[in-house]
Amino acid sequence: MALTREDVLQLAALSRLSLSEEELKKMESTLDPILEYVGRLSKIDTKDVPETEAAPVPSGELRLDVPTPVEESFRRAVLKNFPDHQADLLRVPGVFENPKG
Amino acid sequence: MKDPLNKTIVQAAAGLHAGDFTSVDLTKAYLQQIRGLDISLHAYLDVLENAAIDLAHESDERRAAGKSKGPLDGVPIAIKDNILIAGHRATAGSRILETYQATYDATVISKLREAGAVFIGKTNMDEFAMGSSTERSAYGPTKNPHDVECVPGGSSGGSAAAVAGDMCVAALGSDTGGSIRQPAAFCGIVGFKPSYGRVSRYGLMAMASSLDQIGPMTKTVEDAAILFKAIMGTDPHDQTTADGGPVSTALPTKLDGLKIGVPSQAWRGEGMTPGVRAQTENGLAVLKALGATLVEIDLPYADEALAVYYVLMPCEVSANLARFDGMRYGRRETAATLIETYEKSRGMNLGEEVRRRVMLGAYALSKGYYDAYYRQARKVQTLIRRGYRDAFSKVDLIVTPTAPSVAFRFGEKMSDPLAMYLEDVFTVGANVAGIPAISVPCGMDDGMPVGFQILGPSMGDAAVLDAAHAFEKAMT
Repeated sequence: MALTREDVLQLAALSRLSLSEEELKKMESTLDPILEYVGRLSKIDTKDVPETEAAPVPSGELRLDVPTPVEESFRRAVLKNFPDHQADLLRVPGVFENPKG
Repeated sequence: MKDPLNKTIVQAAAGLHAGDFTSVDLTKAYLQQIRGLDISLHAYLDVLENAAIDLAHESDERRAAGKSKGPLDGVPIAIKDNILIAGHRATAGSRILETYQATYDATVISKLREAGAVFIGKTNMDEFAMGSSTERSAYGPTKNPHDVECVPGGSSGGSAAAVAGDMCVAALGSDTGGSIRQPAAFCGIVGFKPSYGRVSRYGLMAMASSLDQIGPMTKTVEDAAILFKAIMGTDPHDQTTADGGPVSTALPTKLDGLKIGVPSQAWRGEGMTPGVRAQTENGLAVLKALGATLVEIDLPYADEALAVYYVLMPCEVSANLARFDGMRYGRRETAATLIETYEKSRGMNLGEEVRRRVMLGAYALSKGYYDAYYRQARKVQTLIRRGYRDAFSKVDLIVTPTAPSVAFRFGEKMSDPLAMYLEDVFTVGANVAGIPAISVPCGMDDGMPVGFQILGPSMGDAAVLDAAHAFEKAMT
């Protein structure tokens, strides 16, 4: 089952990745052998086998989601990591508009 | 002052206690060692020189006041770069986090801080822990201290090389499919992946959350036990931590009465090089000589663990790495629209292997393929877990080689991802089953170290460390 160019483009779009022509070619040639390898799982009879249960989390032990005050140094550190900012606010490209056009 | 280099945790603690050297002496000696060796080995992404000397001073002051905190107090430890230390850069080997400064301490760091450890540097790794050679680091590969033409293994290759090259006393790594054990094997050190849930993952950059585990990389098994006990325990910040009961290691030198399973799936056939076979079969003989009984066992579906891993892991990767979008932190590339900003920031700053796994995950999780890949892999995971559970009802421990070969040369597996993935064939089982596993040195093949792997039942961490200790003592 070979992935087509459209499949790879669709996966790149789902993954929010812009890829060059060369990178697309590399993905096409490397994804197929991996999918072929993991495809061996389809031959295993798993009738009546449950999916692995996730680790049980006792509800009494869930951490409460309470806002806690942070030190100024922590707040500064978070702000410093912003790729773009206006004063203390994070600046992001517009969601509903095309800011450049 | 006595020579502070070439120290295990136990020896460093004894030297500090006896006053042979101070923590500042010890830390400065290791910083000097890094300056001399790391130009050629590149084990470190960042050396925390000033912060380390500050921590060492604090430790010396505590000691002088009679308030020393135990075996890790004042001891220089290296930390894999996907583990957060507040105020220091954490790149996880990725370009997208080139300028990212951690804003808080990972739980393992808080615990080590509490124990008085000195954080000497952040170690190199395959980008976001995806790789088996550190060749996938955006900042260039780490070299193997035993032969600089060879990889140190990965993804915790920087930590492994830092320990093997004596550029720290011990280190932390992380292991999702073998990333502590395989580099430990390649560099001739001890690497321990604890049971899933033993060590908090809070502050570890998530790769595959259901498989990731932080663990010690050390010069001896005894050191691994000390470091593991310092970082383990439940944590309100990580709901997957579990109280597996206390870990009391006896560190014996005999293994009388122990039943050890030798799975035919791992040992039969052509799954390893002749050199690895010769050394690890000698390892089996050593276990026998220590008084253990070896039993050939069948581990049904163990051969499928790698395929299960390469479905489940990319699925979790594609979800976990969605956060690296250039919005709140990390590199943001400029583009006309929001979606193009995402695509460009990720496309330009995530490396090839990361992109491949994100796309694989997107594929296996997409409509029409979810049942065939993700759901089926989870079912086979159940079969694998049952296989281990049944095996551990008959034997105490299971042994295999750690890796199919010794360290390979740079570039050898870079063009063939599947060949690189096969590096994990003996190690992924422990992650898929959630059980503890350790790699201990087991002789040399043509000048390069071989690793021997010991696996135990879930929460049987102490039994694994105990057997590894006896094995290590018998080998030296």
